[in-house]
Amino acid sequence: MTRAAEPSLPDRARPRRSGIPLHAALFHLTAAVVAALFLAPIVLVVLASLRPASEAGAPPLPPWPTTGLSTESYGRLEAFGDGLLHYAGNSLFVALGTTILTILVSVLAGYGFSRFRFPMKKLAFVLILSTIMIPFQSILTPLFLILAKLGLQNTLTGLILLYATLQLPFSVFMMRNAFDAVPKEIEEAARVDGVTGLRMLVFVMGPLILPGIVSVGLFAFLNAWNEFLAALVLLTDQSRYTLPVLMNAVRSGRYGAVDWGAVQAGVTVMMIPCLLLFLTLQRFYIRGLTAGAVK
Amino acid sequence: MNAVSPIVKAASRAAGLDLRGVTKSFGSVDVLHGIDLSIAGGEFVVFVGPSGCGKSTLLRLIAGLEEVSAGAITIGGRDVTDLDPSRRGIAMVFQSYALYPHMSVAGNMGFGLKMAGRPAAEIAATIHAAADILHLTPLLDRRPGQLSGGQRQRVAIGRAIVRDPDVFLFDEPLSNLDAELRVEMRIEIARLHRKLGNTMIYVTHDQTEAMTLADTIVVLRAGRIEQVGAPARLYDDPDNLFVAGFIGSPKMNVLPARRVAGGVEIGGHVLAAPPLASAPPDGPAIQLGIRPEHLRPARSGEPSLPFTIEVTEFLGGTTWLYGKVAGDIPLVIEGLRGSTPVAGTRLAVTADPADMRLFDQAGTRLR
Repeated sequence: MTRAAEPSLPDRARPRRSGIPLHAALFHLTAAVVAALFLAPIVLVVLASLRPASEAGAPPLPPWPTTGLSTESYGRLEAFGDGLLHYAGNSLFVALGTTILTILVSVLAGYGFSRFRFPMKKLAFVLILSTIMIPFQSILTPLFLILAKLGLQNTLTGLILLYATLQLPFSVFMMRNAFDAVPKEIEEAARVDGVTGLRMLVFVMGPLILPGIVSVGLFAFLNAWNEFLAALVLLTDQSRYTLPVLMNAVRSGRYGAVDWGAVQAGVTVMMIPCLLLFLTLQRFYIRGLTAGAVK
Repeated sequence: MNAVSPIVKAASRAAGLDLRGVTKSFGSVDVLHGIDLSIAGGEFVVFVGPSGCGKSTLLRLIAGLEEVSAGAITIGGRDVTDLDPSRRGIAMVFQSYALYPHMSVAGNMGFGLKMAGRPAAEIAATIHAAADILHLTPLLDRRPGQLSGGQRQRVAIGRAIVRDPDVFLFDEPLSNLDAELRVEMRIEIARLHRKLGNTMIYVTHDQTEAMTLADTIVVLRAGRIEQVGAPARLYDDPDNLFVAGFIGSPKMNVLPARRVAGGVEIGGHVLAAPPLASAPPDGPAIQLGIRPEHLRPARSGEPSLPFTIEVTEFLGGTTWLYGKVAGDIPLVIEGLRGSTPVAGTRLAVTADPADMRLFDQAGTRLR
């Protein structure tokens, strides 16, 4: 016969060791080492950019300036061509243009692929995705020719179109996933509430796919901001250079010597918007990447 | 209460609803085969049936979330077959609540009015009136993510009330809630119906919900209406074995039987049977339906069936006795309060002819 058992004696409190447990210490140590590994290049670049010109070509160890800090490298960068701000402006125009265009197109395409039925939908989606497999360097020449035919070679607008094109397959994929993660009932509830068309996209879906939009935008911005090869090939007019191309131009000092100081200064400047963007938006970015991963 | 009155007053014009030959196919699959149904204004109608019977599809057709393949839908005398969901005078409560996660409770409830461009003061007043009815006032600033399941469902109902619809549509609204909350919300919905007086259509696969809430139950199977009627009528007077089996828990007992002179014969035992207006067309073999609570121990000398108890289920108020009758036909009967039968006990059971329902071999009721 089952019956309630006598209550057992209260557990004696287990003695606890004081101090930090070993596994916690190991964890923090490992984390610190990994963090240092990731931070080291950034620190090295910033320190190297602050070396005086005489030191710029010296061996990289020790990494810090030995004969006092100097902003000469930034000066040389600024003195090049139309000035640093002008080129940063070019880069910003291209990066923002790419971002906006990519977001606009990928949101609409992702919505379509997620919510609408149309013939050959799967095939179209696979075709879009498959273009990721083609290295864009291999089609740079035809792209250049197309842009030339359109009269867009050596223009920042042409560059924006090119970057957005390269960015779109992945972005459309991301946005479709973001839309897929939104339950259909929410949309249906909105339809009952009298929301249709563009207002549905803006007022109901928009806030729900914001993490996806941020991820796609961030990717587009960073890739456009850092892209070098296409910009180098397409832009021939020095005043239209973006920052990576500028850096390539600045690099060559007198008699084939490399101006490492100016390059490091340029890299430091280029890092700033990326870091700021990433730090402010990382919360959304992580959510966007994992959208739909768990219910 | 002053604030509540606009909603309650406005809703008192309850609109009826008519379905004429409503058919729905997805590709080559026919989900609904010509549904004809009239729902009176202010009625609480429950669509019930096993999963895949088309009850949710029918509701979505009424809501306008799906297009009919053929047929017409009229709400309040107005043909709404081709109208947008928002223009049909309906509001819908979804199984998954479907709240807008990025809006507060007040935002969720007022979104429809905001989209319709109503003045802010009117929206606020309507939200507060609805929140009052559903006891949501302290939660108006919360986000759906901060609410419990029951609270979310109340917000979803609140959003429907704010739309001031002619017809409320509920799509299995309680199936995501735990058992206790489900009973609570069920009563709350019943109370709401009494208070607002609107026409309500409610889809569920839970026959308890159907029995307790409905003025009229519509039993669906495989895209067709099996029977329409008040809960008591469906329970007492089912048109066929499907309805008889679907309504009531535990299910009605169905025993293979033969019509013989003076009654029905089950496994060699003859019981008195209800009279039939006409002889069944397909011979003497029939099916006999008796609800568990209608079986009782036979008095001595009365015609009876030998019943052997195999399992007993004590539920507090009642005890269900599961076992075999007349050899190996499974049977459930309601045990008498106070008696404590054990497995293996043999009883002689019988039922009054008035409590027996006869069905032909195909399951159609014989009357």
